[in-house]
Amino acid sequence: MVDKDAAFLEHLLATFRVEADEHLRKIFSGLVELEKAAPEQRTEIVETVFRESHSLKGAARSVNLDDVEALCQAMEGVFCAMKSHEIDGSVELFDLMHRAADHLGRILPAAGKALAPEDKAVAASLVSRLEDLTLADDGEPGVSESEAARAGTIVDHSAISPPAAETTPDHLAVNSTATTAPETPASDYRPPIPAMTETVRVSTQKLSSLLLQSEEMLFAKLSATQRIGQMRETRGSFHAWEKEWARVIPVLHQLRSANNKTVPGNRGNGNGTSNELVKLFEFLDWNLDFVKTLESRHVAAMTAAKQDSRTLDGMVNNLLADMKKVLMFPFSSLLEIFPKTVRELARDSGKEADLVISGEEIEIDRRVLEEIKDPLVHLIRNCIDHGIETPGERQAKNKPQRGTIRVAVTPVDSRVEVIVSDDGAGIPLDRVRAALLKLGSLPREKVDELSDQELLPFVFQSGISTSPIITELSGRGLGLAIVREKVEKLGGTVSLETAPGSGTSFRIILPLTVATFHGVLVRLGERIFIIPTMHVERTVRLGRGDIKTVENRETIPLNGEAVSLARLADILGVGRAADPEMIQAIVLTASGMSVAFLVDEVLNEQEVLLKGLGRQLSRVRNVAGVTVIGSGKVVPILNVPDLLKSAVKHSGAAALPAATAETEPAMDRKRSVMVVEDSITTRILLHNIFGAAGYDVVTAVDGLDAFTKLKSAEFDIVVSDVEMPRMNGFDLTSRIRADKRLAEMPVVLVTARESREDRERGIDVGASAYIVKSSFDQSNLLEVVRRLI
Amino acid sequence: MSDDADRKRILRARAAILAQEPEESGAGEEQIEIVEFLLSDEHYAFESTYVGEVYPLKDLTPLPCTPPFVLGVINMRGKILSVIDLRRFFDLPVKGLSDLNKVIVLHDDAMEFGILADAILAARCIPRAGLLTSLPTLTEIRAEYLLGVTQERLVVLDGDKILSDRSIVVHEEA
Repeated sequence: MVDKDAAFLEHLLATFRVEADEHLRKIFSGLVELEKAAPEQRTEIVETVFRESHSLKGAARSVNLDDVEALCQAMEGVFCAMKSHEIDGSVELFDLMHRAADHLGRILPAAGKALAPEDKAVAASLVSRLEDLTLADDGEPGVSESEAARAGTIVDHSAISPPAAETTPDHLAVNSTATTAPETPASDYRPPIPAMTETVRVSTQKLSSLLLQSEEMLFAKLSATQRIGQMRETRGSFHAWEKEWARVIPVLHQLRSANNKTVPGNRGNGNGTSNELVKLFEFLDWNLDFVKTLESRHVAAMTAAKQDSRTLDGMVNNLLADMKKVLMFPFSSLLEIFPKTVRELARDSGKEADLVISGEEIEIDRRVLEEIKDPLVHLIRNCIDHGIETPGERQAKNKPQRGTIRVAVTPVDSRVEVIVSDDGAGIPLDRVRAALLKLGSLPREKVDELSDQELLPFVFQSGISTSPIITELSGRGLGLAIVREKVEKLGGTVSLETAPGSGTSFRIILPLTVATFHGVLVRLGERIFIIPTMHVERTVRLGRGDIKTVENRETIPLNGEAVSLARLADILGVGRAADPEMIQAIVLTASGMSVAFLVDEVLNEQEVLLKGLGRQLSRVRNVAGVTVIGSGKVVPILNVPDLLKSAVKHSGAAALPAATAETEPAMDRKRSVMVVEDSITTRILLHNIFGAAGYDVVTAVDGLDAFTKLKSAEFDIVVSDVEMPRMNGFDLTSRIRADKRLAEMPVVLVTARESREDRERGIDVGASAYIVKSSFDQSNLLEVVRRLI
Repeated sequence: MSDDADRKRILRARAAILAQEPEESGAGEEQIEIVEFLLSDEHYAFESTYVGEVYPLKDLTPLPCTPPFVLGVINMRGKILSVIDLRRFFDLPVKGLSDLNKVIVLHDDAMEFGILADAILAARCIPRAGLLTSLPTLTEIRAEYLLGVTQERLVVLDGDKILSDRSIVVHEEA
């Protein structure tokens, strides 16, 4: 029973925390608004915050949080007094209220656990100071409205000092304000309970899981398209069949008429040969009909499948679009903390600033909102720290003493534009120039050549800061680099404009959702990677001779300019062969930098959905995530900004491995190995071992797969596991020995079976070597293979 | 009908046996539930509380730029899961050729990944007191990752310790 009660209380507390957080946020934004508002506008705002603190108080009481309740009660008292114009909002009063709200924010997340003594003490002192405020003001003549109201307030606040007083304060509070608004019935103090509302509260976790599942449908859609491709291929085979058939028709005619001549008027009679031929002709006729029927059925099925695929396509797209809309949040849910942030930051740096927000009702994917929070906070800090001048400086420049920071959200086509601007000093371009020189990545004459417009993008480069001192807020020159990285990761862009003396404006363009994007598939050996299309400038094919080494860096000519060249295989650390005659490169750009990457092949472009790598792989160098392509295969998506950084780091050493690759004793002809193994890990391991030793490797998953592949290409040796589904290694060996063409092929069996009988059986079926897995050793295997071919 | 009476008697006797409370092996002894698996001919186990499920390894996508103990990622019903070779994580000598055909999904509230095994042997209970903690020489795995080793040389790994180990998390900037 006790457990059940505890669990129930825990559940209540969880609900309370969510609710309390909402109330508190409204109180925060209300306080900031209130401070800015003209006296005649205040009434409405006071009413709102008063209700919020009242609701929070009620909620706190229902879960027995006395300290929270008392603090809310005291705040409510102040709002109540403001409502009845008994007190005015002085700066001290607002500071105190902010401090009280802050403290609520601090103790609420721990709601349910015993408060730390110091937190309790702070709460108690805040309560008494807030009460003093209302009481002291009450004493001032001419401020209070009426005797009754004053009496009510006084009784109200003295009654709450023992927190045990359960119902009286509420009741009295009602009385005290009822006098100022007599027409309001007492019950109206509770927030109005909505009748049947049009909305349902669902946890975002549940919704995110739903969205994830809907996104999986994309895979179904892609596979359906792929299946149709396969059906189209099958249909092509029917055409091939038709051609072959057309070629034998004349032969058939000849045979038929010849047969009719040899037995004129003698059909059905004893002649064995002609009778058998007639049967064969009959079968061929039936076969023709049969294949034709099969073809028409296949075509009908294909048409239906196409229709289904189109329907599925539409349904999935609609489902995804609607699902994404469900997860759209208004910008206000993010921006409502900003007024408070601006107030605090400005106060701490001795400046004065107002925040003007517009377009906060515009909705955007929650995931985009979460990711964009830090960049926006950073830009706001930047505005205050670097942009807005001190009140003195502003006055000297004939500007209003209070600076203005604007956050404007506007929809632009299917994207959203967020502009963060200030009316401060602007960015001192000479300091950017100086910082750029100090960084030393560009020679002085280049820096001098840059126009002001060309100089601006460098502000986003890491290590560039115009701040002469490093403060707690900024100055390390990292912030804007991170802003750009985050925005670009979301598929957005960021730019800025600045006018010396009159301000700076950052312009961020964001996608409305974490959308699927297009990616280019590239091949390196047998591995496939995807590169987001937005970073692909172009793809080029060149002769090997076009690669020029400039200052120890390899480059290729592109539109008359030398672009540095990197080998994707080296950067990713996957093995690569020597360059072929014609090379294929893909030019990637990010952060205003371009590098050409050498790949084995550029395959195609397709729609992809980025999936994370799971919790253990928190961040992998050069890899942004993975996606599942139509065939069900998981393919890594590359992180282009990372690749460019890696390319720069790699460039010095790049030329060396290529040289050693060429000096390696080349085999007169590349030998090819067929690896047959049902375990994927062993298959990959063996593939890598042979690949690294310079063999061409083809893998098969079992004996049957191997035998089919052996039939269609030339191999020098087979290395096979024994225990496999469908056809085991022993059977595969005997099939190879029984085949005319393959009979001489060396076969190495690698097996977990160590018994003498198994070994003997291996020799019986004709294996050339028998290696036991438990004593497996890579050099031993290579040695055995080398000896056999 | 003696048949009927016999049947009833037999059923009653069986019911009486079934009704008996099973005798606890070593009454009052604390039992831990484990999942036992084979890896390179050694027997290991995790406490079952940390084992989400066992998944057959059918396809594996190797990832570049990851430490050698990360073998790659798999698509587990739409969710991407990384898989780890414990032998390489523990720096054990990798001897012979193993099948590594099974993925044991290890998880807690904050972490989740797959561990490769050659075979799953059993899910059973063992007495906690039977775990020897003072004989780490029985295995090459560092003592901090061990819950203990049983008399039959079954190495019981500390799931909590491995899941919360910072060195298993890959976080690398370019």
